[in-house]
This record gives sequence, C-alpha cells and structure tokens, in this order.
Amino acid sequence: MNKYIAPLTALLLLAGSAFAFIAAQSWQIADSYSIAFSSDDAGGVFKGFKGAIAFDEQNPAASRFDVTIDAATINTGNGLQNKHAKSDEWFDVAKYPQIHFQSKNITKAANGYQVTGDLTLHGVTKTITFPFTFKKTGAGGLFVASFTVNRNDYKLGKPGKDVGEDIKLDISVPVTK
Amino acid sequence: MFKKALLLGIVSGLLAGIAGVIYARIYYSANEADFSKVVSTVHIVAASLFGGVLAAIGYTVLDKLLKANGEIVFNFIFTILSFASLLLPIGHRFSPPIDTPELFPGMVIPMHFFPALGWYTLKPLFIKK
Repeated sequence: MNKYIAPLTALLLLAGSAFAFIAAQSWQIADSYSIAFSSDDAGGVFKGFKGAIAFDEQNPAASRFDVTIDAATINTGNGLQNKHAKSDEWFDVAKYPQIHFQSKNITKAANGYQVTGDLTLHGVTKTITFPFTFKKTGAGGLFVASFTVNRNDYKLGKPGKDVGEDIKLDISVPVTK
Repeated sequence: MFKKALLLGIVSGLLAGIAGVIYARIYYSANEADFSKVVSTVHIVAASLFGGVLAAIGYTVLDKLLKANGEIVFNFIFTILSFASLLLPIGHRFSPPIDTPELFPGMVIPMHFFPALGWYTLKPLFIKK
C-alpha cells in the first residue's frame, strides 16, 4: 500500500498545480473603446489601443492585461496641440511610439477589481495600481477604469506650466469573446 | 447712407456665405475631411451674413464720425479684424475630439476673408462717392 502513496501524491500535486495554470478567458478588444485623458488645461483621447486581455471574474489572480496604445494617435481636438503633444517636449512619439501597460497582479476589491502593473510611458516604467470594474454584457463584457497619473513621474512636459500635473484617465473597453 | 451700406452688407454677406459653402464642399472632397457636423451650411451663411451686417454698421458709424477718412479707417479695421479672427479656428478645440482637427483651420481660414472680399468687390456698385 505504501508504495502507492508517493505516486498518488505526485499525481495529486501535478493535477492540483495544473489547475493553477488554467488560463483565464481571453477577450478581444472591440473597436468602440475609449481612452480619454483630461487635466486642468488639456484633454483628449487616444486611439490605437490593442493587446491581450485574459480575465476571469472568478479567478482574477490568473488574469492578465498586456496592452499598448499608439502614442501618435493622441487627439486633443486641436491640430496645433496634437503636434505639440507628439513633440519631444511631451510624448516624443518618434522615440517612444508606444504606451505599454502590463499587469502583475489583479485582485478583487470592494467595488470591482484592482490591478497592479507596470506602466511604461515616455520611456519611463512605473508600477501603478488602479481600480476597475468589469460588467458582462451578453456574450461580451465592459471594462471601466478611472484613475490619475502624475505626468512628472513620466517626465512628460515641464513641471508646472499650464497643463495640470495630475492627468485623469477614463478608460472604457468593451470586449468580446 | 445706412440703407445702402446695409444692403451692401447683406448682399456681400450672402455671397460670401455661398462662396464659403462651395469652398467647404470642395475642401471636403479634396481632403476627405468632413466638418459638416461642426460647421453646417446654415452656420457658414449665418456667420458671413453677420460679418456683412456688422461691416455695414461699422462703415456707417465711421463715415459719420470721420467723414472723408472714414472709409480708409473702416477698410483697415475690416481687414485687421478679418486677420485677427483667424485666431478663433486656429485655437479652437473640439470636445469631444474629432478626427483630423489639424485640417479644420485650413477649411475655415479662407472663409474669414470672404465677407471682406465681397464688401470690397461690391462696394463701388452700391456706394458711389
């Protein structure tokens, strides 16, 4: 009997650990997403949002976000401001064409979920944490997040000046299976 | 005098509006940039008419106040104001943002000169001194 204990334990451990690696549901980003930003003086939207979203409401720990935004798609609603925003004083899109967010940890929170991950912007990577919600809509779902980043942390623009240092991000990402 | 100036303002304003609408159509097809939801035909004609009527009032007032020099001063002011008004489309920020906002000033800037052009062109037909 004892000779079966070790192989059985190994089998149980193997099966148990396999469950831990079950991938969360993969979601496709729908075209109607909205990545909006606003501050005291400037505001606008980004297009060119893409990446991989794996999310399971029941198992947020196994969920992953790895998304990018094409920095050159910034649109402030004014042509001159767009040009200025893309210049080396701000996003320097020629040198840093992508804004990248990669999650490290997703947990359940009181009103939804909370994600911690690395945000790379303007060549600077910082770990940030922000809350988000997920609502199932038929065969798809909707991620909504609203949080603030300090542009000085990413060396965006010069400190002070007209544009506020805290930039509010309002993100709405509909997804399909 | 005011009647003639007003008539000139209305006619030149309407013609400027028509020219603006035609220019906008050409601009849309040439650049595939449609701003018709932001600047409609009614907006273009109304703004041009407003410019023409404002010019008529300004012309009459300056003509009364400055007599012989009134027209010279009026022409300067009308031209300077037309140039100054370019700051409006250049600085305009669409909220929510629209696609290709950088093409917007290119469409609107020429229109800001149409009322003045209409006025200067038609004035000899309406007001003879």
